[in-house]
Amino acid sequence: MIVQTGKLPGQHRSGQADPTIAEKLSEPGWAWAAYQPDRQRPWNLAQAGHLYRRAAFGASWDQLQQALADGPQRTVDKLLRPQADTTAFNRAYDEYETSAGSVDALRAWWLRRIIQTPHPLLEKMTLFWHSHFATSAAEVNNARLMQQHVQLLRSQALNSFQRLLEGISRDPAVLIWLGADTNRKAVPNENFARPLMEAFTLGPGHCTEKDVREAARAFTGWYVMRGRLRYIPREHDGNVKHILGQEGKFTSDDVVRIVLEQPATARTLVRKLYRWLICETEQPDEMLIAPLVESFAEDYDILKLVETMLRSNLFFSAVAYHQRTKCPVEFAVGIVNGLEGVISTTQLAQDLANLGQNLYNPPTIKGWTGGRHWINSATLVGRNNLAVALLRGSGPYGDKLNPWAIAKKHECSTPKSAARLLLDLFLQGDLDPEVYDTVLKTAQASASVGGDDPEGMVRRFAHTVVTLSEFHLA
Amino acid sequence: MFYTRRDFLKATLGASALSSFAPAVPNFLVRSVMASPKRDDRDTVLVVVQLSGGNDGLNTVVPYGDDEYARNRSTLRLPSKELHKIDSVIGLHPRMEAFMRLYKDGHLSIVQGVGYPNSDRSHDGAMRIWHTADPDQPACQTGWLGRAADSVWNPNKTDTAAVFVGPIAQPFALKAENVIVPSIRSLGDLITRQMPGYPKNKSQPKHAAKLRRADKGNQLLDFLQHSTLNACANSRRIEAVAKASANTAEYPSFQLAATFRTVAQLIRADVGIRIFFTEFGGGGIGGFDNHANQLGNHCALLHQLSESVAAFVRDLKRDKLLDRVLLMTFSEFGRTVKENGRRGTNHGAAAPVFLAGGRLKGGLIGPRPSLTDLDNGAPKFHIDFRRVYATVLDRWLGFESRIVLDRQFKPLDILNV
Repeated sequence: MIVQTGKLPGQHRSGQADPTIAEKLSEPGWAWAAYQPDRQRPWNLAQAGHLYRRAAFGASWDQLQQALADGPQRTVDKLLRPQADTTAFNRAYDEYETSAGSVDALRAWWLRRIIQTPHPLLEKMTLFWHSHFATSAAEVNNARLMQQHVQLLRSQALNSFQRLLEGISRDPAVLIWLGADTNRKAVPNENFARPLMEAFTLGPGHCTEKDVREAARAFTGWYVMRGRLRYIPREHDGNVKHILGQEGKFTSDDVVRIVLEQPATARTLVRKLYRWLICETEQPDEMLIAPLVESFAEDYDILKLVETMLRSNLFFSAVAYHQRTKCPVEFAVGIVNGLEGVISTTQLAQDLANLGQNLYNPPTIKGWTGGRHWINSATLVGRNNLAVALLRGSGPYGDKLNPWAIAKKHECSTPKSAARLLLDLFLQGDLDPEVYDTVLKTAQASASVGGDDPEGMVRRFAHTVVTLSEFHLA
Repeated sequence: MFYTRRDFLKATLGASALSSFAPAVPNFLVRSVMASPKRDDRDTVLVVVQLSGGNDGLNTVVPYGDDEYARNRSTLRLPSKELHKIDSVIGLHPRMEAFMRLYKDGHLSIVQGVGYPNSDRSHDGAMRIWHTADPDQPACQTGWLGRAADSVWNPNKTDTAAVFVGPIAQPFALKAENVIVPSIRSLGDLITRQMPGYPKNKSQPKHAAKLRRADKGNQLLDFLQHSTLNACANSRRIEAVAKASANTAEYPSFQLAATFRTVAQLIRADVGIRIFFTEFGGGGIGGFDNHANQLGNHCALLHQLSESVAAFVRDLKRDKLLDRVLLMTFSEFGRTVKENGRRGTNHGAAAPVFLAGGRLKGGLIGPRPSLTDLDNGAPKFHIDFRRVYATVLDRWLGFESRIVLDRQFKPLDILNV
């Protein structure tokens, strides 16, 4: 069995220690070039864990070991384009969801899909777009429309932002949510035009009130009636409009085209994705992201953009490593995936809602702010208590997660070796050496008192590991 | 100096390292979390009580001296000799004897005729307006207290500023753009649970955050360590309070009273919560919505409200905490002056707001709404509800109401602060 020792920490940070690497990272050409491990920047468990936290929702022990054997680029290949039949998997889940009937059931199905999918990056990006378009079931109040909405997000999550945006502009859930389900010629409705030109694309400050008003005229004629999209030609304003410097008898499709032609759109999205996949603690320099912005603006190919980011030297550097806070879904599913179990996601959906991430119900049009906002006294106690519920072996989650069984499966025969495995599994051993030692010793002491059973001891140790501050870092 | 740091850790901490405080804690954390006085004594607390369904203000704060009252309320009129008279016109409902005592002690103020222009008569619409504090924008996506919590967020202080206490879904008033506002049913939801099986004489290593890490220059990790420490400390405080005061304070056996007991314990635990939101009436179209046979039901609700608030005030006063606390009630609307032929009343407009606490000027505030000059059959408003909000935000909590309410409403001069 391959067990990385706790001495690895620090190696991955050599990028920071070495001034030449820090310097090279500020050159866009080098920063976005594909990472090839070398002596200074070795491919190790910590890097593999980092990749699986960002491009998936954590990893199992086998996945980490496979990644070590495959090397970074081949692992990224698999995450981007898994060999398994993802189409069949997703079609089956689409069918389950169709018969779900309630938003609560949809939440549970999505979490189950996130846990079981052969293509976790697709779900990671669907979650990203869910927060970006931020459509809330609380306002839409229609499970079928919400299911179709998230299905739209998933269908384009790694495809074309242009097609995604076109879909959004015809999506009944989005229009109902924004109060844009009626677009009369006489009373143009700005409720969709405004977010389309601000939150969804250009970001704040790139269009005028007049642009919004004119764009609203282009959307006249579109209605949602009984949950279905309808176009009523006589309610469409066919006159000339002036939008972002262009003039013409524009329709809704033209508005989508025009906002996509603005350089601000690609820039806003690249920045947002940078925060999601690479780093939330610092904003990138304009110069650094310029090549990505330019390339994304050409074809709005999301897969290509994600691929560039995930393969890059920058992604595998100290700029990105541990520079994000896990959202509640990442926190919980990270535990579940690490322990190779399937749990009740109905319960999990509710527990995650209490931690601030109620799937299908983003708080506002800005989606989940996340970052440090995920963390406060109550949510940290909540995360601790969720970890207890997941790991205790009884109660609402039952005994589906069993860290001792997982350790034995991976050839650990004593609680002590199990403890080392869990530290590597969940933190890749990347813990301050003194903390590492002390945590291990505490585990041993706990085991020796009262002749405790190894399963209980390993469960408690797993809980200690996933409630360390380090585990909240993505 | 005889030890390396590693030896020091070994010698001092041993196996129970993780369950003891102090030595392993980085100094900056000790100072900020444990060693210094917990927080500013002047930190005030606001407790909001939502009365769901539309409380009949006229049978709560009763204008018995106005002939129009008796004329319009042929079956619902409350006998004036049973009222708790405030002056020659106004009296409190007969079962609100506890509120009358608070009023006499100066711990209760009544703001009359609170509302807003063009009153919304649907439960959802009106409640949404009270929650968003923005009657002009029905699509407003945040609540006033959620915005208040956002406005005081500070990455170095990870106490949660606002909490909902109750068994229903979190009311929209607490909806924030950025911060996570927790909903709790009991103190247990804010206490760190333990994994089963720890030997009784050993506490759990739940304070692993206290272990010293070599500085890695990761500020996010520092933040998480600091937050975890703070969360553990807060959890311990709540646990201690729960144990110490579980049964000492006397509360009546109403659900609302139990909620107030929880709030009082959290105030006592002093964990930095500035805003508590509670609900009475069951949420949705709540218990105060009495279109038929109003008298008995309304009577029971007002009795529970008044007894529960009084118990809360008594509890806080005993612990000298009342001066830090202000409680405020609201309902989505009042009700029509004229009863509706089914011994009930219909949806109205303005209604009284009760304030309770240790720093009130007391008395009746604002003019008494006329019973003849009406807004669609119901008393008109004289005081915009956002002036009450501005008062509690600016004058009581020390927040900036202009940011929360988007413009400056004139606070009322009702507090001794």
